[in-house]
Amino acid sequence: MDYSMEDTQNSAPDAQQANKLSSSGQKSDTQSVTKRLQAELMQLMLSPSPGISAFPDADGNLLSWTATITGPTETPYEGLTLKLSFAFPNNYPYSPPTVLFKTPIYHPNVDFSGRICLDILKDKWSAVYNVSSVLLSLQSLLGEPNNASPLNAQAAELWDSDQAEFKRHVLARHQDLDEE
Amino acid sequence: MLSTVPLNVGRRRVCGSVFSPASLEAHPPSDFQREQTPVISFQESTDSSSTFKADSQSTSFATIGGSTDAASPEEDTLNQARQAAREFLSVPNLGFELLYNFRNTDGSQMLKEWNRLSPPSKETAEALEYLMRTSPWTLFEWYGNDIRRHFLVNFRTGLSKLLKSLAEGLLRTIVDCLQLARRIYLAPVVHYMLPLIAPSHQGGFLAQLQRAFHTVVQYSLPWKNISPLLARELTQDAVIILGIDTLDEDFDMDRMSLDGTEMERAYSVSYKDWRQESPEAQAHMMVEGEDGRVTIARDQLLAFLNGLQLVGLGGDQAQKVFANVMNIMMGDFIRAAYTGEWESPSTAPQHLEQWIENVYARLVVQVLAIIDSDLAGTQSEAIEVSFRDVEKWRVMGIARLGKLRVSELFDVVVDWPASSGAVEDLRRFTNNSSGARLYVTHFFSINLLQRLLHPGASTVEILQVYISIIRAFHILDPKGVLLDRIARPIRRYLRDRDDTVKVIVSGLLADPATADGPTATGDNLAELAAELTKVHHHSMQNNRSELDYDDLYWMPDPVDAAPDYKKSRSVDVIDSLVSLFDSKETFVKEMQTLLADRLIQKRQNYDQEITVLELLKVRFGDSALQACEVMLKDISDSRRLDLTVRNDQILSGHRKQAGVGKLHAKILSRFFWPEFQEQEFKVPDEIIKLQKRYATCFEKRKDSRKLMWRNALGQVTVELELENHTFKDEVTTWQATVIYAFQSESSEPATRTIPELAEELEMTPPLIRSACLFWVSKRILTEVHRDTFRVLEVLPTEDDEHHAHGAGDFSDASDSEAGDTANAAAAAEAAAAAAAKESAEAAAMEKMNVHWQFIVGMLTNQGPMALNRIVMMLKIAVPGGFPFSNEELREFLSGMVSKGKLEIVNGGNYKILH
Repeated sequence: MDYSMEDTQNSAPDAQQANKLSSSGQKSDTQSVTKRLQAELMQLMLSPSPGISAFPDADGNLLSWTATITGPTETPYEGLTLKLSFAFPNNYPYSPPTVLFKTPIYHPNVDFSGRICLDILKDKWSAVYNVSSVLLSLQSLLGEPNNASPLNAQAAELWDSDQAEFKRHVLARHQDLDEE
Repeated sequence: MLSTVPLNVGRRRVCGSVFSPASLEAHPPSDFQREQTPVISFQESTDSSSTFKADSQSTSFATIGGSTDAASPEEDTLNQARQAAREFLSVPNLGFELLYNFRNTDGSQMLKEWNRLSPPSKETAEALEYLMRTSPWTLFEWYGNDIRRHFLVNFRTGLSKLLKSLAEGLLRTIVDCLQLARRIYLAPVVHYMLPLIAPSHQGGFLAQLQRAFHTVVQYSLPWKNISPLLARELTQDAVIILGIDTLDEDFDMDRMSLDGTEMERAYSVSYKDWRQESPEAQAHMMVEGEDGRVTIARDQLLAFLNGLQLVGLGGDQAQKVFANVMNIMMGDFIRAAYTGEWESPSTAPQHLEQWIENVYARLVVQVLAIIDSDLAGTQSEAIEVSFRDVEKWRVMGIARLGKLRVSELFDVVVDWPASSGAVEDLRRFTNNSSGARLYVTHFFSINLLQRLLHPGASTVEILQVYISIIRAFHILDPKGVLLDRIARPIRRYLRDRDDTVKVIVSGLLADPATADGPTATGDNLAELAAELTKVHHHSMQNNRSELDYDDLYWMPDPVDAAPDYKKSRSVDVIDSLVSLFDSKETFVKEMQTLLADRLIQKRQNYDQEITVLELLKVRFGDSALQACEVMLKDISDSRRLDLTVRNDQILSGHRKQAGVGKLHAKILSRFFWPEFQEQEFKVPDEIIKLQKRYATCFEKRKDSRKLMWRNALGQVTVELELENHTFKDEVTTWQATVIYAFQSESSEPATRTIPELAEELEMTPPLIRSACLFWVSKRILTEVHRDTFRVLEVLPTEDDEHHAHGAGDFSDASDSEAGDTANAAAAAEAAAAAAAKESAEAAAMEKMNVHWQFIVGMLTNQGPMALNRIVMMLKIAVPGGFPFSNEELREFLSGMVSKGKLEIVNGGNYKILH
């Protein structure tokens, strides 16, 4: 049975490892997750990349973050501020974080509830990725959507056919999250 | 036979209280006899007297018969005899006053007053004799009742009033009075009645009366009022007898002996005196040659207790009070005798044992012999003071001593090692009684929290006490369980202190030569350095693992050890201190910083640093201290290198055109040295030239290496030639750079301003100002105006000086030259400190910048936040915590607000602006 499982998850060998890890001592795991996230945060703070930013939520355990992406120039999203939520699993970085757009966004690879279709957040996830690489990928996804596997078919079609109309849709859908 | 008497008495008393005396008299004697019949023992006991009774009855009828009616001659005679006896015995109602007034006399006068001594008339005597022969019990019973009645009527109110007066020695007065009363009641009985009875019964009758008296006394004087009085009396005398008062007065004695009035005291219970005697003398000291005072007090006390016992206030209850007093006395004595006596070797336990045996136990035996439990005193079953009791007291005494030592323990530790005797005592205590160990640690921990682990104590102090604790507790408990328990809170506290590492490391690096001196340095733990050299080889053997199967001396952990208790066989102070920190890293890092400071200094050799490092390597292993080793190696290498480079320079003929001076360099491997906080500036061109030349030579020698000059580090020997004075000394590089800028070819003294210099030297103004003030203090420069300095080519004479001051010189107008320079020196120091502070502030600012990034990230992603929330989040998110206070952050943030990077929105929340 183990073998079959391994077969099905061949694409994500880390997941297997993660299972093993999570079974052995949840507590020490949480600690190492916290440590890792703290290191990532520190890196993010010390060498900030333009246009992206992230910070843990106030719940104190560092497992949920909020991130901000500024829309890249020369894309329909130019000048927009997009907020995302990160939820890190207990076996992070062996499993990917769950990332959602909080700001309503019109994008071929994002559905209307903010779910993202991005390979590195799914089966291509690897432990070497981190918050900042995910954010950078998402930032580039804004300018170069993957129209081969759209979540929002209309947007994918529009992106190819009518950029001006696309941008109108983007602006219509966009709505700054009021900072509460 | 004796045993039957009390039984009988008890019976009679019950009868007496049920039947009135009158009705009793009405009974014919035959009834009376019949009533007695169930008591077989009585029959037996009175058997011998019954014959006597039978024939005496007839004879007495004959004698008294003349004066009585013939109708019922027997009863009549009896009544008459009783009447006479009562008249004889009845006590006049004279009241308490009289009794009180006579309390200090021997009593005979008073007895006369009360008419108690006059012998009975012939008739009465006959009546008594008759009654004694026929029915002595009824008579005694009546008299017992009469005593009670009389006492209640006459004395009780007086006594209660007296009891309320609370006068000094009140109880003695009361006892005196009661003794008199007792004599009043019993004198006629003793003198005229008892001789008429068979000697074997006398005791019983007397006891009956006494009991009657005692009951009424106890009734009139409630015990709860008496016991404090008794305790006071007992304490008063016991203090003297046990010698506690002399201990308290020791101070006064010392003073008195100066006047020569104090006599040699052979007898003393003082521990101090005792210690000084030879062992033989010690044995006798408390046994012989008792003080006059003590003897008097003892006699007085025993007499008093005798009286107390006689009047019925002794017995069980008095014993309880006595036990209480003696309990307190033991504590008092121990406190008085041993407080502060900490010399080693300690003989306090022996002294205490001797005292208990010879002084304490003696008093107890004497007192208990008097106040035994049987008040009547007929059966003296005095409580035996067995040897086991003494043994118990001894154990108690040792426990008390231990308790005293525990309460003193903190001071003992502080005084270590002068106080090792106290620890020996304590050790006896902890070995002796179970629970004592817990008590010691518990009490001491509380003490520590109160007296040591608070912000008022400096880290050096805490560490010093901790070291003493380690040593003291090692003697107290070689297994280290107690130390383990005590040390935990201290270690936890020390970990929280920022400067702990610094103090320890600087202590290690201190010069051991100074540590050996008697003067303990206030701000330095120099003894650590001495310690390091002393015990280093122990630690090697100590580091055996738990599973050493060859260890034949293995012992299981003590039962009361904590789970993570680790055994250490020797007192390794250094190890305890170093292990304060989770990792050696913190320690090594601090070591690096301090070592760097010391190595940068210009010195002939660095032997001491090398020694310390070698010793530490033994502890930590080579790898941990690798960086430090590289640093030391750098220094020794660079000396050699310096020599080669200089030789090369000489060979290449650069030397003669140097002119500016010689340049020696220390080449540090940047990677292994800690960051230096310094202020960069431009050194004079000539120096730069030298540096370049040096660097080329160096790079020729060492391929692929580059020299980076750290201008702010190092020393310069400066020689200045001025018009009428010269100067030569070693100064810092920046001071030298500044004075070099004042060099000029012209004869006019050079004048420079601080902004000018700042631009030229690329140095911060505060640093320049500090350097200038330094030179002012050396009388090389003067400050002409604020921030403008001129070279002082000619030292001013006194007159000039005054003139200068008169001209409104900017510098402080002090009266003397010395004061002037001193002022300038102080100012220079202050300025240097200001400069240092500035650079520190810059560093702090640098740190704040990192935090600023966090704040930006936080506010960008989480929206506007209040200050408190920002601080909270920073504390969570920033590794190593957030070192600034709320106020500092508020200031920083308001700075950012004014820079337009933040704005304050509703409710004081900070919002980021893009």
